[in-house]
Amino acid sequence: MKMSPFYVKAQDNMQPGIITSSGFLGDDTRPIVDIIEHDEEIMQQLGLDFEEVANRLHELMEEGRKGLGEPITYQQFLLQVYEARGFLPSPFEDGIFRKVNVNIENKKNGKTLLVSELSIHLLQQHHFLQGRGSPYRLEPEDLKGTLEL
Amino acid sequence: MNPVIFTAPLAIAVIGAVLAALISITDKIVNNYGDLTIDINSGKRKLEIKGGSPLLSTLAESGIFVPSACGGKGSCGACKVKVLSDIGPHLPTEPPYLTKEEMAENVRLSCQIKVKQDLEIEIPDALFNIRRFTGVVERIKDLTHDIKEVYIKLENPAEINFTAGQYGQLEIPPYEKIKGSTQRAYSMSSPPSDKDHVEFLIRLVPGGIVTTYVHQYMKEGEKIAMVGPFGDFAEQDTQSPMICVAGGSGMAPFKSILYDMDEKGPFERDVWYFFGARTKKDLFYLEEMQALEAKQERFHFIPALSEPLDEDEWKGEIGLITDVLDKYLKEIVPDADPKEGYLCGSPGMIDACVNVMTANDIGEGDIFYDKFA
Repeated sequence: MKMSPFYVKAQDNMQPGIITSSGFLGDDTRPIVDIIEHDEEIMQQLGLDFEEVANRLHELMEEGRKGLGEPITYQQFLLQVYEARGFLPSPFEDGIFRKVNVNIENKKNGKTLLVSELSIHLLQQHHFLQGRGSPYRLEPEDLKGTLEL
Repeated sequence: MNPVIFTAPLAIAVIGAVLAALISITDKIVNNYGDLTIDINSGKRKLEIKGGSPLLSTLAESGIFVPSACGGKGSCGACKVKVLSDIGPHLPTEPPYLTKEEMAENVRLSCQIKVKQDLEIEIPDALFNIRRFTGVVERIKDLTHDIKEVYIKLENPAEINFTAGQYGQLEIPPYEKIKGSTQRAYSMSSPPSDKDHVEFLIRLVPGGIVTTYVHQYMKEGEKIAMVGPFGDFAEQDTQSPMICVAGGSGMAPFKSILYDMDEKGPFERDVWYFFGARTKKDLFYLEEMQALEAKQERFHFIPALSEPLDEDEWKGEIGLITDVLDKYLKEIVPDADPKEGYLCGSPGMIDACVNVMTANDIGEGDIFYDKFA
């Protein structure tokens, strides 16, 4: 995939200190189109559909919010939602998102995921799971293992 | 030997140096706004400053600290300042945080606008009293598996004056991949009478810059800074019964308020304090609150667990704190007087509690909170 000006701008916005202190790329030095392309291949190999994963994450975030900041059990998951004041803009400049995180723990297998409202958007709209080493990187294997999809 | 091997790198280095010098000179010319003046609140304070930096940091360098929950990243919308001078239209980053009225009055996010001309601005007078304090972490105590009590001895200035319920912005140093110092807002849990200390209750937020530092890197004896006090969350000067609700580290302002009330003598009003947690291991200060309840006849402490474990052998209230609150407001809290609501927690928790309170005839104007996590 080509690094069009759209992706060049997005990659600039993902650097540490632009939108968040730690950025979206972690230690990953690849162009984001390569990160996206590689993750799309892995998701396909694992039989994961971006839309289906995003819908499940949205569902778990909304259920987690019912705990009002405390952990809450929903199905096989222990969910805890953390909310902070304000919003974060998407590095692709296509919206702003509440600073809401949900920690998803699968109580059956102990696997966990940390997901933000913004990271669900990036997954759903751009197939961008963030760079390796990013605090909010969504590893396809972790998505599959935790969500049991 | 081919002289090009030596001269080519040298030529590239010289060109690079010239370009760097040109960029530096251009930057100084283009971004040099010279000596400027900021007039605050119609002449109450006049600052002589160097232009070119964001208004938020420019004010902070002159000792005027506008609250900012994100440390100037433009993502919290807290650092609002009314600008009376014409500095052009709002930037695209500002409107999401501003109401129509604020837009019309030229309220701006001070972290987003640069000082490029003389300015007239308006800020609350209370901000003149805010200071940057440095101190030493005297004690770090585990309250639960994910909440720490951090007790700081102030050194410079050595004392703080604040109202119980207010918050401070804890400033942590750079660590690992975090390049700059970072500030986040936390309510102070110590009573105002403990003037040479401040105490915070800090819950670990996965991925959180400041909470991760506090939980994994902060050591007793280290130097630390905070800016404050901020906020107008405080006990109101009425006799109305107080209905207080918190969970987790939302305990902090209530501990400060309750200890402050206790120091002044017997409570002159009823205080109902609802505290929510999931299991018994998430509860803390139980003994302290029960001791206060035994001492203060008009204080009622209602801890509630949403998912108690069998081994908890929990005999208290069970359910989400909003359900327990609703039950008490309908069945147990005397109905005679108008009541005041006091909340501390996440935006979602506050919204849910406001809904329960207003449905039980507590006026929205009588519900008080600082809406930050």
